[in-house]
Amino acid sequence: MFFNDIHIRIRFVLLVVIIILILVIGKVFYIQVFSYNKLAKITEDLWSRKMTINAPRGDIVDRNGEILATSIVTTTIYVVPNQIKDKEKVSKDIAEILNCDYEDVYKYVSKKSSMEIIRKGMDLNSETADKIEKLGYDGVYLVVDSKRYYPYGEALSHIIGFVGSDNQGLSGLELTYDEYLKGTNGELKYYSDGKGNKLEIPDSYVAPSKGMTLELTLDIEIIKAVDNELKNAMDKYDSEHALSIVMNPKTGEILAMGSKPSFDPANYQNFSEEVINRNLPIWMTYEPGSTFKIITLASSIEEKTVDLFKDHFTDTGAINVDGSTIHCWKHGGHGNQTYLEVVENSCNPGFVSLGQKLGVNKLMSYIKKFGFGDKTGIDLNGEGNGILFKEEKMGPVELATTAFGQGISVTPIQQVAAVGAAINGGYLNTPYVVKSIIDDNSKSIVFANKQQVKRQVISPETSATVRFALESVVSNGSGKNAYIENYRVGGKTGTAQKVSDGKYMVGNYILSFIGFLPANDPEAIVYVAVDNPKGVTQYGGTVSAPIARNIMLSLIETLKIKEASGGMLKEYSYLDVRYYQLPDVVGMSKSEATKALKEFKVKYSGSGDKVVYMSPAPNTFQSVETTITLLLN
Amino acid sequence: MIYSASFVWAQYKFNNPFHFVTMQGIFLLIGLILLYILSHIDYHLYYKYANIILFICAILLILVLIPGLGSVRNGSRSWFGIGPLGIQPSEFAKIGLIIYVAKYLTNNKKNMQSIIHGVFPILGVIGIFFLLIMLEPDFGTAMVITLTLVCLIFISGVQISFFLKVGLAGILGIVGIIIAAPYRVKRIVSFINPWSDPLGAGYQILQSLYAIGPGGLLGQGFFKSRQKYFYLPEPQTDFIFSIISEELGFLGVLIVTSLFLIIFYRGITISLKASDLFGKYLSFGLAFGLIIQASLNLMVVVGLIPVTGVTLPFLSYGGSSLLVSMASIGILLNISKNS
Repeated sequence: MFFNDIHIRIRFVLLVVIIILILVIGKVFYIQVFSYNKLAKITEDLWSRKMTINAPRGDIVDRNGEILATSIVTTTIYVVPNQIKDKEKVSKDIAEILNCDYEDVYKYVSKKSSMEIIRKGMDLNSETADKIEKLGYDGVYLVVDSKRYYPYGEALSHIIGFVGSDNQGLSGLELTYDEYLKGTNGELKYYSDGKGNKLEIPDSYVAPSKGMTLELTLDIEIIKAVDNELKNAMDKYDSEHALSIVMNPKTGEILAMGSKPSFDPANYQNFSEEVINRNLPIWMTYEPGSTFKIITLASSIEEKTVDLFKDHFTDTGAINVDGSTIHCWKHGGHGNQTYLEVVENSCNPGFVSLGQKLGVNKLMSYIKKFGFGDKTGIDLNGEGNGILFKEEKMGPVELATTAFGQGISVTPIQQVAAVGAAINGGYLNTPYVVKSIIDDNSKSIVFANKQQVKRQVISPETSATVRFALESVVSNGSGKNAYIENYRVGGKTGTAQKVSDGKYMVGNYILSFIGFLPANDPEAIVYVAVDNPKGVTQYGGTVSAPIARNIMLSLIETLKIKEASGGMLKEYSYLDVRYYQLPDVVGMSKSEATKALKEFKVKYSGSGDKVVYMSPAPNTFQSVETTITLLLN
Repeated sequence: MIYSASFVWAQYKFNNPFHFVTMQGIFLLIGLILLYILSHIDYHLYYKYANIILFICAILLILVLIPGLGSVRNGSRSWFGIGPLGIQPSEFAKIGLIIYVAKYLTNNKKNMQSIIHGVFPILGVIGIFFLLIMLEPDFGTAMVITLTLVCLIFISGVQISFFLKVGLAGILGIVGIIIAAPYRVKRIVSFINPWSDPLGAGYQILQSLYAIGPGGLLGQGFFKSRQKYFYLPEPQTDFIFSIISEELGFLGVLIVTSLFLIIFYRGITISLKASDLFGKYLSFGLAFGLIIQASLNLMVVVGLIPVTGVTLPFLSYGGSSLLVSMASIGILLNISKNS
């Protein structure tokens, strides 16, 4: 009986114990099943040390694959202080190789943390990294990193932009296309014990994958020529700004774009925000001046309000519009001219009359159709809008000044796009610089840009007439300084007075030239503007046309533009060096050849009497100063 | 298991990964011999010498408190250091007290119905020992002993209502003790929310959870624990169960728990079959002493109760603990033989 009571209580205790143990097992089950994911993640982080391996940024290349921005491999030293036994010796040796103070290394090596980056040990070249590696110290890790490198520096800084210290895009295309360029970071993970010592568990390595390649429409050879010319324009004329755009008018692809002052992308910190942020060719807005006359011209031809060849205009040097007198740039005027001559001479009263024939509504509708007043939509940041007169507030004076490019404000890129439409058969293209985005890992094209036609503004016939008129401007008119022998060049000069606080500034002009070649089938359009050049006649023809000509010379070489016959001959003034077409003298006798080449200097090579070869090639235009070499047999 | 759990710490502390395992091997050998001897010693001998055994235990417990004789390990002066070997008198006092209480209950079978004449005197004795151990201090062992003895008194037939009162008093007492030592408050707080101080008081329990969590069904594999690599301090002692759980998974947990239950069940069977009252009380006390210690340890490790500092019998590293556990089994076997 008494035992019975004890036995009952013993069994009761057994029950309690079983319950306790079930609770324990239940709790273990709960931890392992329900908290598994959370704990597994925490412990993974606890047990492992991660070193991020930065992905190299994708390259930026030009239309021919030439590298414009790339990532060069550098190495960064990571230290795991716990794994370093002789901290003094390690610090001393590393400091010696890095050529820095012992303290700069020791402070990281002696830190109580799981992992440290030695500041002075970042962006090491491979030579230095090799030396560190040879030391073979435990706890010293070398992790591959990358650093952005811009081989063409200032020439492209406004378009490409730059990256910050962590290789993140901060401006330009580097910023806009950061998502594509940055790639995916890799990671080196090793397992360590509670004291930071490395465990014999294999490291896990996730390789970084390089960012995508950005292919641009630019051509580095043209960029170099443009940059060179702009630098000269700044030095020679002590200008405020100089800028240029080269575009393929058929597609809207930008071949080159540049401006001064520019900045060095590797040391962007040393430049003012204004210089960095203002990409002048798309940001700057100013009165276009006479280059805008192309728009008035094209509109008039399209609307058939004028016949360039038959209609005449008499310029007395000034024209009265609603009580105001508008002067022509030429004192005394151009006298009686055909409208083609009005264009060649860039005669302001002549263009006022063209504007009056069109009327406010038509002129403004064409100006808008040509894209003025709106952003062109180019794939670069920081584009300006420009300012137009409000149509309902436009009186006769506003109409008159707008017709020759005053009183409105436009951006360079707007002008290039609009003139491109005027000469390419009438199609307004959206300009662009990014051609494609290529994923190097999968070898696939992620994005391919193509021509985007906004609208047709004028007919192909009108466009042909505009080309003819502009070619004659270069051959016979104000654009002579852009003439290139044996090539067909069209263009128009511009001289615009700058406005400050609502008033025209005295003696402060933006001199511009917009030209294209070949004039019969344009492959490139070149715009050049120089802001406030000093010590030179203030005409676009004298300052910007020669710059544009030099750029076009390099275009001929780069784009392999063929020599063309059938172009207009230049109308010579007394001062000009004359050019003649070189007759073909191959097969002639020495005396016959000499006679035929009487305009040129001739040099003979060989002792025979028959010409077997001549240089330069026959039928090209050569200046009288050119020496013609004849090979005799 | 001890080897797997301990070699990292052994390497670190003694530059010999086999340190703990060698030591434990020696103790295991001694323990087996002790087990064999005790299984052949008639348990009625303890009845005879219970008072002397208890007296020796009391002396040892007092001596260990004297600086110079007792050495401090992990904050408690609870060891007699003899070279690399350490002896914990509190572990031996556990058996001594079980024997004494078993004898007392046998002798005072009738008095036990009276709280004042039966229960209070023995509670007084237990209280004295409790205080002695708390002076070291070794809260865990004191808890194990007290719970074991109270349970022993419980099965002897004392009125249930008394235990409700004692339980209340016990809770108050424990609260008092906890408040008296600030580190215990920390342990409680860290138990309720280990994340509040993950690097301080909550560290052990969190690290234990980190070990148990990723174990899964089959564990990381023997020797594959990561938590033992200095994350979990001294993993071969109190928290060996976390490493078991980490390396052998849920299956390992089931097996270990079942083994303890089997041992206890065997002990209880012996108790139920024991022919005399002393044998019944003694076998129950010894079996319960083992299982309550194991349960407390497991509950701590899995985070069911606050950290108390109780080792896991047989599995944790510790010479005295192993010897005492083996001795308990030896005595149990003898009682089984004589029933």
